[in-house]
Amino acid sequence: NREEILSSKSNRLTEALEEANKLFEKVCRAREAALDAQFLVLASNLGKEKANELHSEMTSFDSATFAEDLLTLMGINRTEIEENDSEPGGFLPRDAWQKVGEEALKYFRRAPTFHYMLGSFKSDPPEAKQRIERQKKASRGEAKQIMPAQLKKMEESHEEATEKEVERILGILQTLFENDPDTPISFFDFVIDPNSFARTVENMFHVSFLIRDGLAEIRLDDDKLPIIEPTKSRKGVEENQGPGARKQVVMSLTQEEWK
Amino acid sequence: ELVQFLLVKDQKKIPIKKADMLKNVMGEYREAYTEIVSQAGRILQEAFGLQLVEIDPKLHSYILISSLPCAESNHPCRAKEKEKMGLLIVILSFIFMKGNTVKDNALWEFLRWLRVHPGEQHEIFGDVQKLVTEEFVRQKYLKITPIPLLDPPQFSYQWGPRAALETSKEDILNFVAKVQGKNPKFWTSQHHEATA
Repeated sequence: NREEILSSKSNRLTEALEEANKLFEKVCRAREAALDAQFLVLASNLGKEKANELHSEMTSFDSATFAEDLLTLMGINRTEIEENDSEPGGFLPRDAWQKVGEEALKYFRRAPTFHYMLGSFKSDPPEAKQRIERQKKASRGEAKQIMPAQLKKMEESHEEATEKEVERILGILQTLFENDPDTPISFFDFVIDPNSFARTVENMFHVSFLIRDGLAEIRLDDDKLPIIEPTKSRKGVEENQGPGARKQVVMSLTQEEWK
Repeated sequence: ELVQFLLVKDQKKIPIKKADMLKNVMGEYREAYTEIVSQAGRILQEAFGLQLVEIDPKLHSYILISSLPCAESNHPCRAKEKEKMGLLIVILSFIFMKGNTVKDNALWEFLRWLRVHPGEQHEIFGDVQKLVTEEFVRQKYLKITPIPLLDPPQFSYQWGPRAALETSKEDILNFVAKVQGKNPKFWTSQHHEATA
């Protein structure tokens, strides 16, 4: 009986409803009304199922037309040539789906995707110290990367860089002296960087370490100009044993003088 | 801190689980969970115009949606996101207009018209099938349930809870109407359902 009613061609359901209607008019007792109600529930359930079976006829929604209209929205270029396959001819532009998406966003209450605006910190490796002409150092690659969060590390590498510089300058001094053992080098010639005042000061700073550690000496020559030479090892030992002739010299060098 | 966590987690649009929140952010403050969550919700609402919604009361997972009316949230959106939303709205429209449930083959047959094929790499979407059946489902935009007693297995597609929250039947009907250049009332039963 159910199958019969569900079959879409059948009007059985309608007939049954009409019959029920007629019967209801004759009803005078509660029990019959209850039965009637029960019947209605059943009938409506069947009706719903029947409606579902009918699919698109009921909803009058045509997917093919919808698809066509979507393609139009996407900006399809329709070709004249008829294709053999089920897809209509035409060429979809690159931004086809973006166009749909743009329209789509208007119908959604979507939380915007959260992105960090700024990247995380990166610092540049310490600037390569300027080289004094004759020496080239392949180990430039040793210059360390500094992570900003780790302040300790930064200080360390600063110290190391200074040490390195001091060593380097000592090396240069010694080399120069090797080439020409009896001529001490004019202090100013040694430290001054003709191009940069800052570098000059740095050079002096490094040289001062050498002096402090007794690895180099500064004396005044006959012209009362300071000269610098590496201490010969013997002498160095002696000096350490003695009270140590240490002098403190404040060198003032203004930018004017430098020029 | 929870607010930040939620905002970042929301990027993938996958619901955020209570367990994750407790583990990553709250740690010692477990007991104050409800308090903290509601505070975070308030901040999100007031500062960002976002609503924190519990989408699964059993699992206690949450999503973020915008509380501003649609047309006003004209926020910049990346192309990839737009394209996915385009595909999504087409699918949601199809499902609704066809009575809120469709069979998988019906949907994919429809998508063919739009040059989208399952099992084929799509120029824009890549593995479309994965996008639809996995990503959209995980994000709670779609709900896919197997139809019992069918071999080979078939599935029915419906709107997921996020779809129901972020848009509405009325909105989707309006979209369809706009695309087809018709009055939404043209489709009487859908219109009736949407405005009920």
